[in-house]
Amino acid sequence: MIFLSRTLPVIVALCFGVLGIGIYYVPHAAAQNIERELALWLRIVFAFSYLLGLYSLLNLHWQRIRQRVEGWGYSAMVYAGFGLMMLFVIYNDGQGPFAPQAEGTAAENGYQWLFEYVQVACSSTMFSILAFFIASAAYRTFRARTPEAALLLVAAIVVMLGRVPIGAYISDYVPAAADWLLNVPNLAAKRGILLGVSLGAIATSLRIIFGIERSYLGGGDE
Amino acid sequence: MLNKALSWLAGLVCLVVVASDCRGQAAAGGSVLPLIADVAAFDTPNDAGGSITLTWARSRSIPESAIYKAYIAEANEGPYYLASEIAGGANLQSEEPETFGYGDEAQDAHFLHIAEYAGREGVISLQNDKTYYVRLELHSGNISTRNPVLTASAEGNYFNWTKLNNIVLGALLSFLILGFISLARRRDLYIRRIGGLEALDEALGRATEMGKPVLFIHGLRDMSQISTIAAVNILGRVARRTAEYDAALRVVAPDPVVMSVSQETVQASYFEAGRPDAFNPDHVFVAGTEQFSYAAATEGIMVRERPAAHIMMGYFYAESLLLAETGSTTGAIQIAGTDAFTQLPFFVTTCDYTLMGEELYAASAYLSREPKLLGSLKGQDAGKAIIIAAIVLGALLATVDIPFLTQIFTPH
Amino acid sequence: MIQWLMNIDRRIIFVFVFLGVALPLLANVFLPIRPTRDVIAVYDQLEKVAQDEGVVLLSFSYGASTEPEMQPMARAILRHCFSRNIKVVAVCLWPEAPGLAQQVLEEIGDEFGKTYGVDYAFLGFKPGNFAVVLNMGQDFRDAFPQDNWGTPLEDLALMRDVRTLRDFDFVFDLAAGDSIEFWWIPYGQEKYGFPFAGGCTAVMAPDLFPFLQSGQMVGLLGGLAGAAEYETLVGRQDKATAGMSAQSMAHLIIVIFIIFGNMAFFLSRRR
Repeated sequence: MIFLSRTLPVIVALCFGVLGIGIYYVPHAAAQNIERELALWLRIVFAFSYLLGLYSLLNLHWQRIRQRVEGWGYSAMVYAGFGLMMLFVIYNDGQGPFAPQAEGTAAENGYQWLFEYVQVACSSTMFSILAFFIASAAYRTFRARTPEAALLLVAAIVVMLGRVPIGAYISDYVPAAADWLLNVPNLAAKRGILLGVSLGAIATSLRIIFGIERSYLGGGDE
Repeated sequence: MLNKALSWLAGLVCLVVVASDCRGQAAAGGSVLPLIADVAAFDTPNDAGGSITLTWARSRSIPESAIYKAYIAEANEGPYYLASEIAGGANLQSEEPETFGYGDEAQDAHFLHIAEYAGREGVISLQNDKTYYVRLELHSGNISTRNPVLTASAEGNYFNWTKLNNIVLGALLSFLILGFISLARRRDLYIRRIGGLEALDEALGRATEMGKPVLFIHGLRDMSQISTIAAVNILGRVARRTAEYDAALRVVAPDPVVMSVSQETVQASYFEAGRPDAFNPDHVFVAGTEQFSYAAATEGIMVRERPAAHIMMGYFYAESLLLAETGSTTGAIQIAGTDAFTQLPFFVTTCDYTLMGEELYAASAYLSREPKLLGSLKGQDAGKAIIIAAIVLGALLATVDIPFLTQIFTPH
Repeated sequence: MIQWLMNIDRRIIFVFVFLGVALPLLANVFLPIRPTRDVIAVYDQLEKVAQDEGVVLLSFSYGASTEPEMQPMARAILRHCFSRNIKVVAVCLWPEAPGLAQQVLEEIGDEFGKTYGVDYAFLGFKPGNFAVVLNMGQDFRDAFPQDNWGTPLEDLALMRDVRTLRDFDFVFDLAAGDSIEFWWIPYGQEKYGFPFAGGCTAVMAPDLFPFLQSGQMVGLLGGLAGAAEYETLVGRQDKATAGMSAQSMAHLIIVIFIIFGNMAFFLSRRR
């Protein structure tokens, strides 16, 4: 059992890690064919991960309903929402689940209606809350307590105004200054962080490939 | 005698005809195109096959309107089909330095890759291991010259030499990192103090005093991502401290795999701290699998249970500000760590401490003092030192027109 | 008073932000938009594709939450493509994208009287993230053997000459997540060398500036502002342009509150 849960995954990670690196440097058609096969397998694994995710979600909420934990009503709502969407998927405008998705706008197709007027509406609303939170966070934290904070404050104001048409109304220098801030100091910082993060990714990948890092298997390092 | 003279004359005429056939035909004005010099045909390097390359010397005496035409056939006797044509000054080898190098001689030669040609029945791609007959011609107005036929065959290559710099640099970085890991197993390596991690003890202590739980929030990425692995490492150390301090720990995860890894990690930490009885698997759970349902569920926990400390580690997207801003309204101490560049400003403005970029990776090494983590951190630092030196030196050299270091680091 | 200015209840700020966004939208105020260099670069590239009578691959990598920011961008790009008779092949790399992609393709396709299968094709969603991009580069029909409704690609007129990503004259990704930086650039553009550009949410745009400078991206549409600039270039002002007046007002309100807060801060320090 230890072999299957600890040793075999490490061997698989080593083999496919080294293979993936090697393929990058070998242009021969045989290597490209291997790469194509690996990409296809990856896509199959991804597809199964969606199924796994669905099962895990439903199982999680089922346990909450069964045990009547606090807030189990929301878990029941998960099942209700899932069931309703599945109903329209299976109905498929009368064509059944084995035909391609029925065409039609939201007015003609129940599934499309639910997507547009429930899913899109709710998701967009959650995303739009950010506008309010940014305003309150900016007001609370952009105080010129120190010279660095003052610099941050000025840069934030310049970029906020420069990225919208009103900045050009105020002065042509505002969008130009915003562009300079984004393309020079901001880009320098971004590149620095990107280099550091990329090196970190290389280090972690090497540790995973050579079996030094096993936390992705869960638990301790035995 | 007359026959001998006539024979000599006929021979001379033939010689002239043959010479003109090789050297080109004289125009009414009397100019002649020279033979194209140094023509070579060979398999295109660094590819999967199906292509051959022609190279030839640049002639600065030909007019700009001249055209080079490459013909190809599957047999010496033809039929020859036009494969490609280029203008007289185009396709210098200096335009493809990854194949022909950066030397000055690249300015004095042309190249042409042939991968297909329009045959009688349509476009035909070149096949590997098949001999093709290629011929290069130069045309300028009404005059032209034709070089002798050459043979070449395409084949797949086993190594892409244009990526030599990539493999050398990658191998160097890899040996550095693995070498430092090996070194870290033999001696202790120094890491500078990271302010956010020192605050972790303070936060956990505060939670213990207030009798309130600690809320650990994973980022949205899955278990295969570096930031999630680093977050799980930090969770292990946080769980051990909460077990020692007897503080409650809640862990929210965005997907079942991260949740199950987190459960095992927390359980192992509680065992290590000698508190296996205190571990409750229900305290490590999936709050939501979609971005905003995850954020909404977590915000609900923050507002209802009022944890004393929020620890947000991993890769976050737009929900970062939702979580951090809501958390700040509850008065909890907030420590965040992310390598998501675009979310850093939101965490910096709303959290008490923020671990930026690879400080997240350094954090797990700092807390655990594990040789593998310390060693790879030092290896990364060494890699960064090399890159910084290359940037500074390369910029200075490029300024005085010595591009050698720039060329080494140019990707192809 | 000073203390109140330093600690304004966030709900008051929310009300002002709400009014600042809602009133310009209700009043239908349109501010003049000045296109920037990176947006113009995308426009010019599509004009070049139009001259060559080429095919464009449009990748939808966003979901329901970013629909208000990304859908106007998709509309503007499609309007440009269809007005210049550029053929469009649409694929989805996010699971929530097909509903949005289908909606905008049908809407703009009907607006310009385009025929499915001849002028545009919708190939649907495939799971796999970067693996799909890799597959498309190796063999497009491996990645997408059929369109969204099961029609084989051989039966679609505009797909007959498409074998790999290199056969597209231009690839444009509408991204709300990692798809440009971690899928398209390393597994697509770097390997196969096709002209590539993208549109993204405003918060992600700085992440992609390095790729503009390195030439791996031809141009970039950043957020609603980028969409509004593109609408200006295309000559059809729509939701993005309308949204810019709301966004301008919101930014101005945030700046005013920041200034108030700092004024109160300095006054309190003096005391």
